Amino acid sequence: MPVFKTPFNGYSVKFSPFYESRIAVATAQNFGILGNGRLHVLDLNPAGPISEHIAFDTADGVYDVSWSESHDSLLVAAIADGSVKLYDLALPPTSNPIRSFHEHTREVHSADYNPVRRDSFLTSSWDDTSKLWTLDRPTSVRTFKEHAYCVYSSVWNPRHGDVFASASGDCTVRIWDVREPGSTMIIPAHDFEVLSCDWNKYDDCCIATASVDKSIRVWDVRSYRTPVSVLNGHGYAVRKVKFSPHRQGLLASCSYDMTVCLWDYMLEDALVGRYDHHTEFAVGIDMSVLVEGLLASTGWDELVYVWQHGTDPRAP
Amino acid sequence: MDSKPPQPSASNPPPKPWERAGGSSGSAPFRPPSAGNTSDVVEASGTAKPGEIVSSSDRTAAVNRNSLGRPVPTRPWEQNYGNNSYGGGAYGSTMNNSLYGSGMYGSSSYGGGMYGGGMYGNSSMYRSGGYGGGLYGSSGMYGNSGMYGGGMYNSGFGGPMGGYGMGMGGPYGGQDPNDPYGPPSSPPGFWMSFLRVMHGVVNFFGRISILIDQNTQAFHMFMTALLQLFDRSGMLYGELARFVLRLLGIKTKPRKVLGPDGLPIPGAPHPHQSQNLIEGPKPAPDGAWDNVWPNGSQ
Repeated sequence: MPVFKTPFNGYSVKFSPFYESRIAVATAQNFGILGNGRLHVLDLNPAGPISEHIAFDTADGVYDVSWSESHDSLLVAAIADGSVKLYDLALPPTSNPIRSFHEHTREVHSADYNPVRRDSFLTSSWDDTSKLWTLDRPTSVRTFKEHAYCVYSSVWNPRHGDVFASASGDCTVRIWDVREPGSTMIIPAHDFEVLSCDWNKYDDCCIATASVDKSIRVWDVRSYRTPVSVLNGHGYAVRKVKFSPHRQGLLASCSYDMTVCLWDYMLEDALVGRYDHHTEFAVGIDMSVLVEGLLASTGWDELVYVWQHGTDPRAP
Repeated sequence: MDSKPPQPSASNPPPKPWERAGGSSGSAPFRPPSAGNTSDVVEASGTAKPGEIVSSSDRTAAVNRNSLGRPVPTRPWEQNYGNNSYGGGAYGSTMNNSLYGSGMYGSSSYGGGMYGGGMYGNSSMYRSGGYGGGLYGSSGMYGNSGMYGGGMYNSGFGGPMGGYGMGMGGPYGGQDPNDPYGPPSSPPGFWMSFLRVMHGVVNFFGRISILIDQNTQAFHMFMTALLQLFDRSGMLYGELARFVLRLLGIKTKPRKVLGPDGLPIPGAPHPHQSQNLIEGPKPAPDGAWDNVWPNGSQ
């Protein structure tokens, strides 16, 4: 399957929920420490290399990107200078970004569009907060500040438009209801920083967390004293975890040990697959909603891989 | 925009696979979802705070709300150089995480755990003293364990140069310098830095004095060897002088060896008749052989 070389270090990759052959890639120069960023939108060609549809340059690294669920050409980008930018692919690059929100005081580390209501999105930042934004408001609607350390990821519940989870460096995961003033649940998920979390698409009480302690834990929010499952196998911190949109038990993860792993937490032998195609930290992973088994990953080796599960990502 | 014909409208994505499947694992602990726009729902709940910007003072207060009951690490971008507060045990386990913590490579810092608590990272990398002083200095971590004691990294010159300051950093850092999860070593205190400075000064002058000492010794040895050479060859001075004079064309005449009567001593070497050769031919006496045989006998 094809490979795309980005000029900067990859940070995140997302499949479009509208078009099965379109992906967005967030990249940042100099490993995201200092420098510019670029947001790529790529088209997968059935027979041939990946072609670039459009790219937007930013003045700081882009850490995450999220497709809008309400419009097929809209993108939300999380920028390292603390801003949240909206891009419209239908407009020429000169008139982009169409919005730029400056409310976070630190690097914005994730963005997630609400898949249920489709009119709002969440961002999480190193200023310890998550923010809720809607397209019809010029500012953020709400700020969620309870975490005591950087919030690395905020993810909507795919079955409940009011509930989301946030993973933080204070070693906890918090479950929020946007109608409640505070968090509704605090899960002390790991003994080390929690870098990512994701909801099970087929079980709205099931959540997976990835941590610096190299493990992935699967939790049931109704009984969060002990994890449902602990998935060990990564050699370093697990950077992102993502549940499959198609199969209940399947989840993908990428790690600083440069591998991408596939797990089925319901199986005895949970590690389903391991891909070591990256030559640097693998930091971005996504699974296609429209094509079952199609995976995309990116990493600091400046490469974007798209491949079908079970095949070699490096195969031409 | 895309070649896929059966794509739904541009404002409505295809249904998610899990929406088609339906069903969940049972009663969720969440309130049933409200109808309406997100902004309306939030504003109806009275929790909306549009455009709130969280300042750093709020963030400090948030630490008190920390449900963990333990201190959280300082921010990777924050200056914690010279701050002693992270020497404790609670700090170590969490701070090391940040080496691979998402984003620690992100904007400003390379960890701050592995290389001694933020001294390595921060906005300006390689902050003076952070790298060298803390970890690979003469003491600190290595001094503690005793593994690397004895001037291994320190002496270099041997003799009087080695070993200054070894083991100065006793009570700092973890027991095992190679344990990635142990607490990082504390920043050096005043006396530590002072002694380290003194070490540098003493080392500097030590090197200078060694240079002087070695030069002196070398000069001494050279002169000694020269004088010994002259001494050994002293017996040849006379001959040497004669040879030189001879080269200059001045002949020194050897004196005649005279007997007591003023005549040359017979048997003594005759200076101007070099015929006193041992194997020289003797003059044959004339006709000396004529009368050896009687006449007519031949």
